[in-house]
Amino acid sequence: MIRASREANLTHNVVAEGLGKNFGDYRAVDDVSLSIREGSIFGVLGPNGAGKTTTLRMLMGIIDPDQGKCSVLDAARPRDVAHRIGYLPEERGLYPSMTARDSIAFMGALRGLSWAEGRRRADVRLEALGLGHASALKVRKLSKGMAQMVQLVGALVHDPELIVLDEPFSGLDPVNQERLEALVRAERDRGATIILSTHVMAHAQRLCDELAIIAGGQRRFLGSVEQARALLPMLVRYRPRVDGHLDDMAQLLPADATRQDGEWRFALADDGVEPLLSALVAAHHGVEALAIARPDLHDAFVHIVGAADQSAGAMS
Amino acid sequence: MNIWASALVVARRDFTSIVLTPTFLLFLLAPLLMIGFAALGGTGAGQLAQSAEASEYIVAIVPSEQLSAFVAADAGLRNVSNPPRLVMRASQDARIGALGRDPNVVAILSGSAERPRILERAPGSYAGRYLATLAETVARQGLARAADTHAASSARFETIASTGTTRAAQAGLGYGAVFALFLLSLLLGGQTVGMLAEEKGNKVIEIMAAAAPLEGVFLGKLLGMLGVALLFIAFWAALIGGGIALVSAQAPGTLGGLLSLTPAIGWPWFIVLATLYFLSAFLLLGSVFLGVGAQANTVREIQMLSLPITFFQVAMFSLASAAANAPGTIWANVAQWLPWSSPFAMAARGATDAALWPHVMALSWQALWIAITIALAVRLFRAGVLRSGGGLALPWRRKVTTPKADIAC
Repeated sequence: MIRASREANLTHNVVAEGLGKNFGDYRAVDDVSLSIREGSIFGVLGPNGAGKTTTLRMLMGIIDPDQGKCSVLDAARPRDVAHRIGYLPEERGLYPSMTARDSIAFMGALRGLSWAEGRRRADVRLEALGLGHASALKVRKLSKGMAQMVQLVGALVHDPELIVLDEPFSGLDPVNQERLEALVRAERDRGATIILSTHVMAHAQRLCDELAIIAGGQRRFLGSVEQARALLPMLVRYRPRVDGHLDDMAQLLPADATRQDGEWRFALADDGVEPLLSALVAAHHGVEALAIARPDLHDAFVHIVGAADQSAGAMS
Repeated sequence: MNIWASALVVARRDFTSIVLTPTFLLFLLAPLLMIGFAALGGTGAGQLAQSAEASEYIVAIVPSEQLSAFVAADAGLRNVSNPPRLVMRASQDARIGALGRDPNVVAILSGSAERPRILERAPGSYAGRYLATLAETVARQGLARAADTHAASSARFETIASTGTTRAAQAGLGYGAVFALFLLSLLLGGQTVGMLAEEKGNKVIEIMAAAAPLEGVFLGKLLGMLGVALLFIAFWAALIGGGIALVSAQAPGTLGGLLSLTPAIGWPWFIVLATLYFLSAFLLLGSVFLGVGAQANTVREIQMLSLPITFFQVAMFSLASAAANAPGTIWANVAQWLPWSSPFAMAARGATDAALWPHVMALSWQALWIAITIALAVRLFRAGVLRSGGGLALPWRRKVTTPKADIAC
């Protein structure tokens, strides 16, 4: 069993340096380095085909990297600590002819848990998720969402110290997405380190303590959600009380200001919004609504990945 | 988790997933459905019959002054009939008793041409009648020279008590062993590859690859199917053994011929060796099938790969059949040395050759090849299952230079 309480610490459960992987001539992952704190939720974000799954597979020792090295749970070979890792792959896999209970017990047995204990835990955990009735059902009788939850329980049944979830939210309805988020937080609170890959930014923004953004096989960002969002300036949304002549107003606003549905949007200037407001009020445009907001992770992601695309385009 | 622990987990799952289903009954009864293979066996049986006839012979033990007359008469009669090979002995040099114990001797003529005594394996046999005709011919030639018109010869027939299994019957037993091993490996090989296709299709294999060493997964799959195979064998052994016991109890003597059939090496050793050779054949062929089958991604690809796999199996079967039908020939030696046909061919050898030491050598040789095959197949399996990493380091697969010193995870 692992730490019962979560406390700030700088122990890193996963450290990867310069990981690289080629499939033939295709460079799937290129010089990716990561360090993941113990007891944190770490997001691996990226567009489709960015190299997220390949990176995760290398971290777990499913495939060998062509370059680089990594340490997982203090082991140089992840396979040596496979029994301390739980894994939900992107492409879900269960035997259709097995019951949900036996499927979970089988996954536990592969990680060193006895079949009997696996079955007992399967019943308890399915019950906790409101899926107790599905325990004795064959997998082929389960809905896609239920089967996915069964597989998730299978990945967690042996109380792993490191949990790797590859696109865990895909295919789940909103209710089950909420359940999954709660489950992930509970595992983090138990002390487990969680790596999750996703391209749904809302989940990552709510869950992740830190994240890496991968695009084109390369790591483009590493840091906290707040640090990612801070890459973009604060966004001002301004709705005038009196529109007046748009050209006159545009001359008062910053050059990057855009108008949409009667609302102006522009980046917050270094000297704040007050000088601009004074000018607008003096010009009798007034203020009907004003909001200053930090860009969300989605905007930061688009910005980072877009910059990566531009960079790649320029190089080619 | 170590290789053997994970292998047992995978083996247990595979075993129960096959055995605890209604379709396992179909599998269990598959030999009945595969009776069509008898047609395939027909070719071998034909060869077997020829081989059996070739190994039988007849003996004439006659006074030395009549030897040349018997040889000449035999040469003449062979132009119009096709009796078994004749071995001539002068009566002062030969003893009937020793010849009578040779199971390949089907009839013996002794005495003289005028008063022949004929011992035959089966009453009224063609071989016995031929020897009588031979004696009659020699006797008539003698009377012709003496211008005598009396009956030349009156043969006295006796039946030789059966003292052992003929070489032909033993060869038949060997062929049966080859056929049984082939049938089992064909059934189980298909099952193994089919299960792997299912796992690749439903992506369970990635979970297993993440949780356990792929070597363990590979061995687990082999062991799981081996368990199924042993259950299969136990079922049929119990069924056949029970049937024989029942028939023997109900109608004693009905199975007399069958029960007197004895492999040259004796039943206990034959059963032990056949079991060991089955294990060897399964591990050798099963690992090849699993390694090759892992290269396929879809059921269609599996079907495509099944064809060469089946050809390979049939080729090994044919080679081993040839060995069973013609012990001691170069083909038999090739079949016994070639690792993938060796288990079949050596099982057949146990039926016709009493020596034990060749089996010790063969099993050691096969064990070496099992290790080599599994090691190679695991690499193929790993490369095929994950389509990357750890596969065969073929030059055309490694296009990017790998700084090995840097790789640590």
